[in-house]
Amino acid sequence: MTKKHVGVPRRTFLQKAGSMAAAGAALGAPQWIPRGALAAAGRPGANEKLTFGFIGVGGMGGGHLGGMVGRMKQGLVNIAAVCDIDDKRLENASRKAGPQADCYRDYRELLDRKDIDAVVIATPDHWHAVQTVHAAERGKHVYVEKPACCTIEEGKAMIEAARRAKIAVQVGSQGRSQPEAYLAHRYLVNGNIGKITQVDCFHYPSPVGGFNPDSDPPPELDWDLWLGPLRWRPFNRGYCHGVFRWLMESGGGQIRDRGAHVMSCAMWWMGADGTGPVEVEATGEAPKRGLWDSAVTISVKYTFKNPDWVLTWNQPGEPVPPEERTGKEPGGRISRPGYGAVYRGDKGTFVHWGGDGGTWAERKAREWEPGPGAVDVYRSPGHMEDWFEGIKTGKRTIMNVEAGVDVAILTVLGNLAFRLGRKLRWDHSKREIVGDEQAQRLAGRPQRYPYTL
Amino acid sequence: MDELNLDTLLKSIQSSDDNERANARDRAGVVGAAAIAPLAKLAVEAENLEVARAANRAIQNIVYHAGRPGASAEAKAVTAELIALLGTKHAQFRRDVLWMIWQIGGEEAADPVARLLDDAETGDDARMCLERLPGARATELLRARLAAAPEAQRPAVAHSLRVRGAEVVGYPSQKLTPTKKTTVKPVGRE
Repeated sequence: MTKKHVGVPRRTFLQKAGSMAAAGAALGAPQWIPRGALAAAGRPGANEKLTFGFIGVGGMGGGHLGGMVGRMKQGLVNIAAVCDIDDKRLENASRKAGPQADCYRDYRELLDRKDIDAVVIATPDHWHAVQTVHAAERGKHVYVEKPACCTIEEGKAMIEAARRAKIAVQVGSQGRSQPEAYLAHRYLVNGNIGKITQVDCFHYPSPVGGFNPDSDPPPELDWDLWLGPLRWRPFNRGYCHGVFRWLMESGGGQIRDRGAHVMSCAMWWMGADGTGPVEVEATGEAPKRGLWDSAVTISVKYTFKNPDWVLTWNQPGEPVPPEERTGKEPGGRISRPGYGAVYRGDKGTFVHWGGDGGTWAERKAREWEPGPGAVDVYRSPGHMEDWFEGIKTGKRTIMNVEAGVDVAILTVLGNLAFRLGRKLRWDHSKREIVGDEQAQRLAGRPQRYPYTL
Repeated sequence: MDELNLDTLLKSIQSSDDNERANARDRAGVVGAAAIAPLAKLAVEAENLEVARAANRAIQNIVYHAGRPGASAEAKAVTAELIALLGTKHAQFRRDVLWMIWQIGGEEAADPVARLLDDAETGDDARMCLERLPGARATELLRARLAAAPEAQRPAVAHSLRVRGAEVVGYPSQKLTPTKKTTVKPVGRE
């Protein structure tokens, strides 16, 4: 693996920031910058409080809201609005966000607010791309949960919209921002296991379920807005909160949910952002009963060229038991270390567990001390904080829209190769499937109007 | 189950054994177009929900298999069988069929699909299917629909035409226009 810096090293960023501050001092600029004084169009000034809206406030969205409430109480940010299609969740979120935050069912009403700088989108997967595109078209910066998109067409639209609007997008593969992710990255980039030619991800299977019959939706839920871009179907609890990810249309199983974490680390540490595989092949087994249709077991092989390496997703694969830990390591505790990846180099192997909010690096990476001439890598200040820097300075975020979309595309291609039962060829320069007209059609899908890209 | 043909597929897909049923479902592609009509009958009539679901998903697997590169004759045969199912009375199954038609159908599917545009339950699914079918005929039919549809439906038809790269005068996108209100008030606000 070539030694190189990936992303913008923090020290470079700070040096540049320091130069700018010195230039400001020479010009007699005030130390406290008034709103908009040094801000680019649509970009808040460095000392300006950002104002946020939250779209989707159950599950992960509730967690993000809680974190932001903590920042609000420190006087660092404003929370102007919360939005959910489930009134019970909305009311809970309102209680958490405080009385200053307005409540919405329709996210487009929230996007109309001129005072909101940025939105946190934590809706089910089938909404991520549409809401990101719409937020970009309203000039809002976006933090969107992973996986970034459900189809390749959606991913390309997200990239285009974000570029056109010049917004900062952070995709919620927060493993990249974890303390031990930095240690793992630094360890690998410095050649400690030699040239890496294969990364094997492992993860326990997706569940089987969805045995309830269709029914009327509960009164607090707007089923039409929950479905949004998806084709219409009767309500079933097996589609909805928390379990949407076990359906191909709205989730796609563990390969998409956790694949967007574990493979995100792989692409980052391998210096492979901006690249993609040339071939994808998959085998697996769909559930034998129940509504959920995501593969229970699935093995995917992604072949990369120039440089040549192989990434595999193995569900369950051969899980590596986690090392004994004291709980005082930088990565702290994680609840389910039953997934991760093995990196295979010509001088050894390296294992990490987790890859999301909890990320553990093998001891040898944690204990490795950089010597003279060692290469350093970007150390994220935290996934949200990295996004804030992106909003205020225009720097590329650690899981920017291109990186997030490309990891999501890996997961989409894996599922597509499994469903079609055939190998797919991929041209990453165009983000297109090659030589398979049906697979090309399935790179997108119609969306219900007006919930469209 | 070693050899899969139409008879063994239909027998196994009705099995109460999860393994046998799933195995038949996953291998249905090789049986091809001939299996679609009898599987459709099971998909809408089987009393056992798991059998109905397996039959439905077996049809989808046939669509995937017949859509592989170099199998255009199989794709046409499968499309013809799917078109024949558009008259089914079961609305949700009709939606499923429309969804499969855009995944495999050619220009020959456009007119039969368009005949559902006025259908109260699946008309919008027919529009979405036309949006993705290849060939000029689908565009012509959507243009005709734009002129004839009730006013409330025209923005959606205009959207489908734009997805196909067609120019449309008027009917600006409504995708950013809020339509829903909540009754939830901010907790703790006076």
